[in-house]
Amino acid sequence: MNSRLPATPETLAEQAADWIVRLSADDPGERQQAEAGYRAWKQADPRHAAAAAHLESLLGRLDDIRSRGTQGPARQAIHSARPRRPPPRLATALALAAALLLPGWIALQSAPADILFADLQTGSGEWIARTLADGSQLSLNSNSAVDLEFDAKTRTVDLLRGEILVDVARDSSRPFVVSTAHGNIRALGTRFLVSRQDDATVLSMIESRVEVRIDGQEQAVVVEAGQSLRFGPGSENSLAAIDGEMLETAWQQHQLVVRDRPLAAVLDELARHRPGLIRYDRSAIAKLHVSAVVPLNDTDRSLQLLANNFPELRIRTLTPYLVIVDHEKNH
Amino acid sequence: MRLAARPDPLSELYASHHGWLIGWLRRKLGCPEHAADVAQDTFLRLIGSRDVLAGICEPRAYLSTTAKRLIIDRARRQAIEQAYLAELAALADPLTGFPSPEETLIAVEALTHIAAALENVPAKAGEAFLLHYLDGLTHAEIGERLGVGPRMVRKYLVQCLLACAPAEPA
Repeated sequence: MNSRLPATPETLAEQAADWIVRLSADDPGERQQAEAGYRAWKQADPRHAAAAAHLESLLGRLDDIRSRGTQGPARQAIHSARPRRPPPRLATALALAAALLLPGWIALQSAPADILFADLQTGSGEWIARTLADGSQLSLNSNSAVDLEFDAKTRTVDLLRGEILVDVARDSSRPFVVSTAHGNIRALGTRFLVSRQDDATVLSMIESRVEVRIDGQEQAVVVEAGQSLRFGPGSENSLAAIDGEMLETAWQQHQLVVRDRPLAAVLDELARHRPGLIRYDRSAIAKLHVSAVVPLNDTDRSLQLLANNFPELRIRTLTPYLVIVDHEKNH
Repeated sequence: MRLAARPDPLSELYASHHGWLIGWLRRKLGCPEHAADVAQDTFLRLIGSRDVLAGICEPRAYLSTTAKRLIIDRARRQAIEQAYLAELAALADPLTGFPSPEETLIAVEALTHIAAALENVPAKAGEAFLLHYLDGLTHAEIGERLGVGPRMVRKYLVQCLLACAPAEPA
């Protein structure tokens, strides 16, 4: 196709940008002139109009945001993705991706780069089960990630995030280790659940026993079937009695079983099983404790069940991705 | 557009490496559907840059690098979406209502595009862009705020708009 203007794409885009900037100049006279000039420029060549259309629509969306009064959130959102320095290499870009996913206020949703490229990973609402090379069974529930390191001497599952159920195949020459940021769980052959939380790891023994080496403690702790151990900086490393069989059944049926747990912890757990956010005021619901069995594969229903149990709670689904839980003390 | 004589390099690349890429992504991501999506997007992105194809010496390294970038782009989008929703929630007045999911989606898409573009311009230029098009400040007000003259403000705005423009206009 022949054209009168041998304009390269760059200069077309430059011209478009230049006109658009003039359109919002401070001087009203200049703005008026620019409007006429811009119109003529767009009509002169369909490629001009095409170069302008994309930018016009993008700026139109910023106008919409401003007229909605949501510039603050928009700015925060852009900054949440902004690197401190430009990322020159892929390695840096990966580190950036890690930072992007770590806004402090949703630590639960956090995913460092090693999770982006974890060996096994599940998304919201996804459950998977795998048979490992040694015959051990590993299941992951929603939003979980593990790295596997199997060699001649050890079998290590690095639990990066979320919750796993392990059924260890017996191999006396190679211990099976589940490792988290808070310590190591060492087993020869047994079945147990491990849940990784921000400041603690929770181990629930279903069968047999394991030895736990908690980071920063010399003495190993032995945990037997029917016991659970919560360890890590956010806990007192305390043993508690549990019903292992029930937990396993609940796992198989994708249910959450809680006994006298803080409501906030239960909401956090539900949030892990759905896309988007559940927002609540931690201090307002601090006194509420829950004992319940709720479905993890239908968290809308779980929220409804909780609401039924706590008439003082108001649970609003603002968008499918945003649920707000309020405590209505005075209503 | 299609050349008849030689086999299309893209089809060739697809035939030889698509299966491998899906396998690689599945191992990395754990989720088969997600892996298939990213593989699809990787080839879509290649179609957008056909001229590169001839020069690819190590197709698998190239594909995996492209796929990793896409994963990072998705992470960026996710971070923006989460931050936007959380901030909206903090701001939301239950009486005046909340943007509809469609409005939110459109805003998140625009913000993701802008955030990616602004990574390629100096911080001051990006700030000028946000002050003008998001907050509605005049050129003079921005100049005062950033300590630069009005011509510099214009230069910043043009620079940002260029960064936002698609690489290859239709």
